[in-house]
Amino acid sequence: MSEAMTRVLVVDDEPQIRKFLRLGLQGHGYAVLEAASAGDALRVAVAEQPELVVLDLGLPDREGFEVLSALREWSRVPVLVLSVRSREGEKVRAFDLGADDYVVKPFGMPELLARIKAALRRRVAAAVGEPLFRVGGLEVDLARRIVRVDDVEVRLSPKQYRLLQVLVSNAGKVVTHRQLLGEVWGAAHRDDIQYLRVFVRKLRSRIEAEPARPRYLLTELGVGYRLRTPDQLSGPA
Amino acid sequence: MVPVPDSRPRLVPYLVSAASVAFVGVAAYALTRFVPLPHVSIVFLAAVLTSAALWGFWPAVLAAVLSVAASMYFFYAPIFDFRVADAQNVTDLAVFVVVAALTSRLAANVRAQGLEARRRQESVTALLAFSEALAESTSDAALHATVIGHLSPVLGNPIHLLLPQEDRLAPAASCAGAAALPDEVHAAASRVMDGGEAALPGWRLERLVAAQHPVGVVASKEPAPRADADYRRALLGHAALAIERARLRREIAEARIKGQGEALREALINSVSHDLQTPLAAILGSATALESLEEQGDRRELVATIRDQAERLAGDIENVLDLTRIRAGQIAPRLELVELADIVNAALRRKQKALGAHAVEVALPPDLPMLRLDLFLMEHALANVLDNAAKHAPAGSTLRIAAAVHNGAVVLEVTDEGGGIRAGDLERIFDPFYRGAGPEGRPAPGTGLGLAICRAFVEANGASVAALSAGPGRGATLRIRLPVPAGAPVEIPSDE
Repeated sequence: MSEAMTRVLVVDDEPQIRKFLRLGLQGHGYAVLEAASAGDALRVAVAEQPELVVLDLGLPDREGFEVLSALREWSRVPVLVLSVRSREGEKVRAFDLGADDYVVKPFGMPELLARIKAALRRRVAAAVGEPLFRVGGLEVDLARRIVRVDDVEVRLSPKQYRLLQVLVSNAGKVVTHRQLLGEVWGAAHRDDIQYLRVFVRKLRSRIEAEPARPRYLLTELGVGYRLRTPDQLSGPA
Repeated sequence: MVPVPDSRPRLVPYLVSAASVAFVGVAAYALTRFVPLPHVSIVFLAAVLTSAALWGFWPAVLAAVLSVAASMYFFYAPIFDFRVADAQNVTDLAVFVVVAALTSRLAANVRAQGLEARRRQESVTALLAFSEALAESTSDAALHATVIGHLSPVLGNPIHLLLPQEDRLAPAASCAGAAALPDEVHAAASRVMDGGEAALPGWRLERLVAAQHPVGVVASKEPAPRADADYRRALLGHAALAIERARLRREIAEARIKGQGEALREALINSVSHDLQTPLAAILGSATALESLEEQGDRRELVATIRDQAERLAGDIENVLDLTRIRAGQIAPRLELVELADIVNAALRRKQKALGAHAVEVALPPDLPMLRLDLFLMEHALANVLDNAAKHAPAGSTLRIAAAVHNGAVVLEVTDEGGGIRAGDLERIFDPFYRGAGPEGRPAPGTGLGLAICRAFVEANGASVAALSAGPGRGATLRIRLPVPAGAPVEIPSDE
């Protein structure tokens, strides 16, 4: 295991799931650390400082959410959450607590690998902090506050621009309804999801060629919105 | 039972009043033998007061009249004559009459109040005993017996208690030895229960009302025993409250048992779901990990088959679990105002792989109204429709998704170019485990649950789904009708 390998911490209480994750990830060039419980997960995270965490929400000792919020107190390490499909409500909570992505069990290795890659790349991109964001024909000049679609400048209201700005600074990542409402309208409006839906519809009509089939500003059902990055645009949604 | 003061005139008080006047007269006469009694009427006042205190106003009046007569006849000159010669004696008698009238009235009032207080106390004691008996009645049968036992002395016999049972009034209890309730009384009682009037000769029907809500009817044979109306009302009120309380207690107990059952069922479904899905997740994960590491060739193809079949099994298990949840009544839609386009796009994204061999055309007008739906149930329903279309339409055909507002609803249609549906099967395709033919004429793969789940989820959203087809070989359309919510569009906070 060389120093250059990206170290991924896998937290899951099922040994079979850990085993295929370990072998699969190792096969694709990652170094894998394992934890079977919440307590283990936090100990390993502190001691080994992994570059990414794959976290199952159903742990025997404590809820996966607790691991997530404990991690977020001191670390910005990308966290990819795993959970079963019947519990859609968990998604929102995971993202609100600072998860970077969410994968529903059962999942295939290629999907997980793509998500891991995207999360790691986002982290690098966020560190650079480009003032100009481009995806497809959409261009947002954060320094000059100018938005262009297919080289034509688009006029946005200040709130619409703010909404887009928040999405751009989290490009590629799901931003939850609460996070968006809090950033754009303030803490008092955090639960007015209907406002947000109507507002996103307006923003889409300005920046999307076909607002009902958006290419850039995607809906994460019941969770929030995500602005695609160029590599997400070329790959699968 | 509480005695009620009898207002019929009785002879004894008057006789005793007369006797007491006679007694006082004799005593006064004897007294005048030894001491002069200028105002002899004063002595008669004793008889009047005694009568008033013991028997009330009218016996006291008799005593007063007799006293005046006796005074005039026996004591005031001329004696043994009703005439009174002395003017002072006339005044004396006049004053006597006034004083006697006033004091009789007062004494009679005191007596009446005393009687009333005693009667009230007895009422309260009886009501208290009734309350205690009701509280001690632990079973419904005991409660009904207590009600019958306490009501029959004031309402009459035979007495029947009728209570609602499964939306209609039914006899619940009657006094011992009562004959079966006649049908016409039952019918009349039902009318009384519904707030109607029902006069039935020979029967008395009382509605039991607790908190302005009818809880039952008591039917009893006339004539009713004499009883105070207030007391009767209080008894009926107590009975109504006790019956209502028992009903509520029963409902709470039933709800608790139901809740425990549901929690158990949910725990079971979740546990089974975990037990089925975890090994499958490991199989699918391992297969895909192996596949991603394997070079092209036979081995990779075999691994791909394992992956394919594991995915299919995962889908089937999910469907079976969904059906179990629907059957267990665990589908609780969380309705919110949503964009239909979001749901369509999410379903398309989820079924990307299944639809890989089909062209998909989506035509959603940009100005569709927002709908009040459960996002996940609707997305799931639509994903099942897409899955179904992908299974039944040949590779390379086109799948069209279109929506339009029509008659206060958004009509969403998913049309395929598959084998179509026979007219007789348009409804059957929504039956659980029913499987139509695939593109090659053989039954389509899967459990046959997709559309059954789709319909259950759509209907849970207050919407409806139907299948249309021009016939075999001519494609099919699944049409989902989603009502547009009434009310003003969402107000948006400042756009500035």
